[in-house]
Amino acid sequence: MGMELVRVDTQRAYELIWERITTLEMAPGAPINEQQLAQELDMGQVPVREALRLLAHENLVVVTPRHGLYVADVNASDLEQLSEIRLPLEALCANLAAQRATPDDLVILEALRQEQANAPAADTHRLFDLDHKFHQAVAHAAGNKYLAQTLDRLFGLSRRLWYLVLPHLGYLPASVEEHLELVEAIRAGDADRAGQIMHHHVKEFYAKVRKTLTTDGVT
Amino acid sequence: MDTENDSPRSLVLGIDTGGTYTDGVLLEYHSRQVLATHKSLTTRRDFSIGIEQVIENIQIEDPSAIKMVSISTTLATNAIAEGKGKRVALLLIGYDPDLVKSFKMEGRFATPNYYYFAGGHDLYGREKEALDLPAILAKVNQIKGQVDAVAVSSYFSPLNPEHENRVRKAVSSICDLPIVLGHQLSTKLGSVERATTAALNASLLAVLQDFVIAVRRAMERRQIDAPLMVVRGDGTLMSDEFAAHTPVETIHSGPAASAIGGRFLSGLDDALVVDVGGTTTDIALVEAGQVTVSEDGATVGHYKTAVQAANLLSIALGGDSHIALNREKVIAVGPERVVPLAHLAWQYPQVGKRLKALSRRAWAQATPDWLEYWYLARDAQDNSLLQTAQQAAGRPSAKALIEFLRDGPKPVPEIIKHLGVLHVAQIAPGAGGAQELMRQEIIGKAGLTPTDLMHVEGRYDPWDAEAASLALQVFAHHQFRDPAELRQEVWRQITEMIVQAIITFLSGKTLHLPDGRASEEDTGRGGRDDIGRWFFYNSIYDTHPQLETRFRLRQPIVGIGAPASFFLHDVADVLHTNLILPQHHQVANALGAIAGSVMVVEEILVYPMVSSSGLEVLGYYVQTSEERQEFEELDDALAQARSLSEERALGAALRSGADNPQVVIEQLTDGLDTYRVRAKAMGNPRLTG
Repeated sequence: MGMELVRVDTQRAYELIWERITTLEMAPGAPINEQQLAQELDMGQVPVREALRLLAHENLVVVTPRHGLYVADVNASDLEQLSEIRLPLEALCANLAAQRATPDDLVILEALRQEQANAPAADTHRLFDLDHKFHQAVAHAAGNKYLAQTLDRLFGLSRRLWYLVLPHLGYLPASVEEHLELVEAIRAGDADRAGQIMHHHVKEFYAKVRKTLTTDGVT
Repeated sequence: MDTENDSPRSLVLGIDTGGTYTDGVLLEYHSRQVLATHKSLTTRRDFSIGIEQVIENIQIEDPSAIKMVSISTTLATNAIAEGKGKRVALLLIGYDPDLVKSFKMEGRFATPNYYYFAGGHDLYGREKEALDLPAILAKVNQIKGQVDAVAVSSYFSPLNPEHENRVRKAVSSICDLPIVLGHQLSTKLGSVERATTAALNASLLAVLQDFVIAVRRAMERRQIDAPLMVVRGDGTLMSDEFAAHTPVETIHSGPAASAIGGRFLSGLDDALVVDVGGTTTDIALVEAGQVTVSEDGATVGHYKTAVQAANLLSIALGGDSHIALNREKVIAVGPERVVPLAHLAWQYPQVGKRLKALSRRAWAQATPDWLEYWYLARDAQDNSLLQTAQQAAGRPSAKALIEFLRDGPKPVPEIIKHLGVLHVAQIAPGAGGAQELMRQEIIGKAGLTPTDLMHVEGRYDPWDAEAASLALQVFAHHQFRDPAELRQEVWRQITEMIVQAIITFLSGKTLHLPDGRASEEDTGRGGRDDIGRWFFYNSIYDTHPQLETRFRLRQPIVGIGAPASFFLHDVADVLHTNLILPQHHQVANALGAIAGSVMVVEEILVYPMVSSSGLEVLGYYVQTSEERQEFEELDDALAQARSLSEERALGAALRSGADNPQVVIEQLTDGLDTYRVRAKAMGNPRLTG
């Protein structure tokens, strides 16, 4: 986030609330009491209000004129719309990264991949965090800041989907191998193949989420 | 005054956290009229508590009319001294481990977790060695769970920050720790100081952020919606956002603010400002309206940094300094700060009764250690310290001590007896020890202080003067002295200490006085073997029958801080100068927090681009913290550096809350055809809200 001009306390409030919303600690659809939230976070009401405004901008908080603030809901239609936009963008990222990645980018991707391979399968939160960092690193390697920013904004929304299905799904072990293949394709400069791998990788994720949501009726 | 009534009132609130008191002052900015002041006790365990008390209690009709709040704080200095900073991993790139070791400089990095990697540049900004990024990422992956922040310093990074920037990008891709880069804090070339500064800055990030958030919350509770400024070590101001990124720059901000406050109140452009607080006395010089800044970077604890700070000297002497017998059984004032007995007896009447009983005891049963009281400062049942503190074998626990103090303050000999130990040091030693309990302000210490003497003399007596008088009587009786004579001796000693500090500060020379004090016979003895000492004492006491010596300070002394009027008259007499005690001098430090200017300095280096042989100059580089441009001619490069630095300084000053900042550009030579173009943008703080 380019939050250099945001007040220190607003930034802290933003981070704390973002974490609560994206991990579903603040449940989708739940009303938000600004005053109570400020007390819980041990912060002033002004930074909390500002942070909620920023989160509304990222579609994580909904402001209704008559009923106040709510945590944005998550539903099947969100899933479809998110996957619809993330699929081509992530594939584009991988494609560009294969053409543009610097030696430093490859070192970063390799470090993340190795850490992912070494992390215990049971540590699902860490694996998910690493997966996110991996996607971010590919986006940086693509060398298009607007693309990276767009995907970053979608991340908060995707993270909620993941926490929603987590108890039913666990982590997706397939992606570790896919990451290895992806790094190899980027290293080899094979743009088409990198794009395909990423497309498949993201598509699988959404397919599993969709399946879990419909069969288990989570929403 | 009609003009004043016409202009809208701009109220500003200045706050200073000193060693003893947190002072607040409410000022009308344009007329410079002081509208209200407030003092509350400094809470060392968490400075924001004392600040919140000032914000909540200062007299003001309409808090929403406040247009700026500015704070000077020793938070950073204390956090470093007490090891309260966060854990930092320091990545040293291109540093030579053997060289660092041979100069024994490892201890100066301010963190035990430092690691060497290949990389860095040479003094022409050329890559010395390829950056070993895989090794860096492997190390960060390994340690990221054990540290709270990462600091990076690469060899010659001010000339070429490429490696530091690459490391930041890579490290931030694999973990969420905050990262500090050396070149962003200092453009000086000293590689160890830069690494130290980066490490300290990283360790203080979260500390200062928590502080800013706490102050903001307190402001909001009183409906103060205004910019928040923090004082730097050189007395200038920066916005709280800047402070949260560069906390290391707040080192020594307290004393710098008091010097600025002294100038502000006295209106003098040339003066020696002496700030006498409860714990310390700080000396600074104002020349041509500016607080003089130290050429070297500020030193804090035993760490030498590259941070610019006011040139000042601080000694451990103040109104609440402990008057006691030192190891040689000589009367000494300080360095420890205690609560004055007059205050303790005023809070706990039984202390007064006990002192009365003590004064009736026989000589041998009324030793000065009976004048040192410990008391329970706050209830800390739930304190983790007490839960985790283990009772050392055969030694009393912290709990036993606290239980004993629960029904009131107790003199030290009684505590020792009750707990069955032989010496104070044995009381709850180790992690949960008495020392630690005092640091956490769970128990406090009281004793005889200069403040008690002022009570005896009736010069300042808000608390229990009788208790102070009894304590002095016991102390004097034990020394076979008359109380009045003993008082005189303490004041003489205080004068000597301050005069010595002023002389060493201004002359840069050292003068060792005999430990404790100099009685008349000491004066004679010291005079026989050391002319410096003889000159010093002869100038103070004028004892030599033929030779008259004296010090004369050309500038007046501006005294600030509550005890200044008691401490500094004799000092000014000895130095044959005037003492000026401006109105409101008691809160000058808090005034200094609002009287400073907002300043941003941007430095750009211009240095030659040399051929690979190093013999031929091919052109010149203009190096900012992010980018490097190439020029064929030096003049073009310098012109570009001037315009870039001006633009950057101006932009940063506006973002940092300066009103209509003015830019001054200097061009300095660093040798080796290297130039440092420095743009300094300065303006008054912008008042809003």
